[in-house]
Amino acid sequence: MRCLLPLLLLAAPAAAQPPAARPISPVGPSAQGDVAITIYNNDLALVQDTRQLAIPAGLSRQEFPDVSAQIRADTVSFASPDTGIVEQNFDYDLLSPGKLMEKAVGKVVTIVRINPATGGETREQAKVLAANGGVVLQIGSRIEVLRDDGLPVRVIFDQVPPNLRARPTLSVSVESSRAGIRPARLTYLTKGLGWQADYVAAFDEAAGKIDVQGWITLSNSTGTGFENAKVVMVAGSPSGQNYGGYERGDSANLRRAGTESGTRERLGDYYLYPLERRTTIANAQTKQVSFLDVQGAPARKAYEYRASWLETLADPRSVDTVLRFNNSSGGLGDQLPAGTVRVYVKDRRGDPQFIGENRIGHTPMGSELAIRTGAAFDVKVKAVVEKREKVGEKRWRTTMRYTLTNARPQAVTVDLSQAGLDWGWEDTRIAEESLKSERFSSDGIIWHVPVPANGEATVTATFDTRY
Amino acid sequence: MRRGGLALALLLLAAGVPAAAQPLVVSPGPEAASVTVYRNPDRRDSEFDLDWLEGYALITETRTLRLPAGESVIRFEGVAGGIVPVSAIVSGLPGGVGEKTRDARLISPGTLVDAALGRRVHIRRTNRRTGKVTEADAVIRSGPNGIVLQTAEGFEALRCTGVPETLLYDQIPEGLSDKPTLAVSTTTRAATTATVRLSYLATGFDWQASYVANLAPDGKTLDLFAWLTLANSNDESFVDARANAIAGEPNKVEEGDSEPAPVSSEISLRCWPQGTTSDIPYTVPVQSVGGEEYYEQGGADIVVTGSRIRNPNLSSSSPVTVISAEQEDLGDLKLYRIPIPVTVAAHAQKQVALLSRSKVPYERIYGATLRAGGEDEPTPAGILLRVWNTREKGLGLPLPEGNVAVFEPAGGTMMLAAETPMRDRAVGEKVEFEVGESPDVQILQRRVLKKDEKEQDEDDDHPRPRVYEVEISNARALPITLELSLVNYANAKIVKPSHKLGLKDGSRMWLARVPANGRATLRYTMKPLPPKPEPPDEGDDDG
Repeated sequence: MRCLLPLLLLAAPAAAQPPAARPISPVGPSAQGDVAITIYNNDLALVQDTRQLAIPAGLSRQEFPDVSAQIRADTVSFASPDTGIVEQNFDYDLLSPGKLMEKAVGKVVTIVRINPATGGETREQAKVLAANGGVVLQIGSRIEVLRDDGLPVRVIFDQVPPNLRARPTLSVSVESSRAGIRPARLTYLTKGLGWQADYVAAFDEAAGKIDVQGWITLSNSTGTGFENAKVVMVAGSPSGQNYGGYERGDSANLRRAGTESGTRERLGDYYLYPLERRTTIANAQTKQVSFLDVQGAPARKAYEYRASWLETLADPRSVDTVLRFNNSSGGLGDQLPAGTVRVYVKDRRGDPQFIGENRIGHTPMGSELAIRTGAAFDVKVKAVVEKREKVGEKRWRTTMRYTLTNARPQAVTVDLSQAGLDWGWEDTRIAEESLKSERFSSDGIIWHVPVPANGEATVTATFDTRY
Repeated sequence: MRRGGLALALLLLAAGVPAAAQPLVVSPGPEAASVTVYRNPDRRDSEFDLDWLEGYALITETRTLRLPAGESVIRFEGVAGGIVPVSAIVSGLPGGVGEKTRDARLISPGTLVDAALGRRVHIRRTNRRTGKVTEADAVIRSGPNGIVLQTAEGFEALRCTGVPETLLYDQIPEGLSDKPTLAVSTTTRAATTATVRLSYLATGFDWQASYVANLAPDGKTLDLFAWLTLANSNDESFVDARANAIAGEPNKVEEGDSEPAPVSSEISLRCWPQGTTSDIPYTVPVQSVGGEEYYEQGGADIVVTGSRIRNPNLSSSSPVTVISAEQEDLGDLKLYRIPIPVTVAAHAQKQVALLSRSKVPYERIYGATLRAGGEDEPTPAGILLRVWNTREKGLGLPLPEGNVAVFEPAGGTMMLAAETPMRDRAVGEKVEFEVGESPDVQILQRRVLKKDEKEQDEDDDHPRPRVYEVEISNARALPITLELSLVNYANAKIVKPSHKLGLKDGSRMWLARVPANGRATLRYTMKPLPPKPEPPDEGDDDG
């Protein structure tokens, strides 16, 4: 608004008309052609941009504006019929007033002096002698420092040096056997494009069912928009850095990896999630598109607590509330790309309320998932080391007492596990226990402890260990 | 005015439209909203900072939209500024949701230059002397860090001349908006009016429970009252909203970098090198539209609903409130519902009664923890007020985490005795308020040497049993009960205690009854055990 009003009111012709008016040509819309983007999970995307270029016969230099501002220039490849690449350049010498002046050294510029008393303008031709900590000009036979007297002086340059650009620019020098317009395909990797999945899980505890909507969330922070692009997401991170191994983070939510094959398109070991329609991904945009909508899949709530070795709690701790479901054909029936699962349940009025969220990794179809949604207010465990005595040269006997309380009006079962049984020695024995446990690994055992409604349960166990 | 209106319409059309071809439906704000506030999971017993609230809320809004036939884009305005866009759920659209977008290219001086790069703008120069204004077309050739313009005369740098000059734009470039904007696309068979529900998580909310425990003059019961305090640091108010608060610990994952940060910038003008004798400081009108917002201090509006008492900490007895939050179970969390519609105002805090119970019996217990086989100077005992969260003992309701202010009657008025944090307490649990130390009750522990025993005779390889004594002195005119825990880290066993020792949390515990203005003494022996083995090293193939 503020810009428009003066423009409309002040249409009076300018007083000091420039001596020679030259046509100036603004650039048109984006120079991108037919764009196809493949987005991976680890901040990596492959862009294929097919443009129609008029390539003359012989040697020529082709510029590619509107490529991603976060292009990995070393990954660029160019292909066009009847052309061969001479060299590829990525110029990042950017145009700025300072650069403009530096490159004008030795050249002639026009200076316009404005008389502070009368406002009158005087034009002169000046040769730039140097631009070191101040611009030294030669005007006729005189030498002066630009604006040393503090008076207003405009400097007008005839041209912009050819290799200075507004943005980093990719160019390819090609040798063509013929002249003519033809498709040229530019392929490169870029950072700044990424995606993940977001799941909305509506859990109905009484019915033991879950409705899940899955959304693909893609985001563009490359600094460049991509118009009318064909987009495909790849559920995977093609990088040598996270090849197998430890510290994968989300794996605690995957209880049993599935062995079923889905119907989705694959790329090697990765699943592909193509967008149905071409779309425009603007810069700084997040876009969500649905890919999964499942009603009434079986799900149940579980309570879990993992006690660490020799843990004594002065204050009872809340157990974890865990939502368990599967993505086999009878469950969600699809492999699940990595993302965040947000769980909602209905309150007494029937309004959905958020009860917690967690991340999952890429999950093959047929897997069992258990995601921790939070801590249970009403179900708590207190673990206490009751007794610890030495029974032999290198053997100890430790008696643990676990008190489980339930303030809910329903009976619950808590999956209570004791970890830390294996400290390099695998000969830990359970000498005595008040409830039959399962040894799920050399390091831990698990009890499924029923706790009555508004009641309490106690488990005691004696471990015979080397330490 | 008419021109202003035209410009506004232009702005609306140009800003934040994901696909220009589709008609835009702008939904200016919600008709009804419900706000469910979740605590900051990392804030323990500290007070919240009204300008920096780190909890969050689930906001569910109802909006009525007039949808044209065919494809359209709905732009949701007036959502909370802290919206987590990936959590947005839109339901009730007859044609379903095509795609959801959130655009974060904001209108700012720098993004205007950036978006106009290579496009035609206007440069306006004003003659300082005559006031004459000159305008010319220009094309931006570089920016926003140092702007180079192409005009009919050639190339020039903006504001490197000492002449007052500025850029004018014909319109806001496509895709820029004043705030990050949420939009969804949909396809409707015929033009219709639809009521849609938009729900999303938003940051910039928090709540807390603040307890006031007033001890009765009888020394046996207390009145427990709690405020539910909701706060909103967003710029948006939710008028006549259904407000709830959630107690418990819902899991929250760290928000990743999945969303691009809002893009906005200022212009930084850089010119050619200027001689040290000729540096003319010029003032650049710097404007910044950032993603972060800072709020004025001290402007927070504190509203107390249903009560005239403004500060619970100054009240001497439980306030009289006419409404109180209603509690229900939500999965394994607790939901507190404010039963009447309330306005969750921007930059404001609101309090309603959370719970109130009177004549709750409590025990005043002194406690101390000593290391078995240690020697201690006289140390004051801790004071605990113990209540049981059961119906028989006057409570029997979930007590969400919060700070407890304990007031004691003294000389006819109520005095603040302590402020102490409390964790979530379920029904049936023991609740203890630590209210400080009592200088009147002191505990001392010392080793007792036998007649012929001398400390320097000790032989580390063949330790002998040692006798210790704990003495409690009570300077109060009332008999007291003290729970003394003896934590045993030594390689020795506690034997031959002079009083019966119980077990508490795996440690031996003496429940001492000390007469008024009297003393009580415990004597026990530490009997050495065989030396402990070295702690195991992982990977040692001893076994």
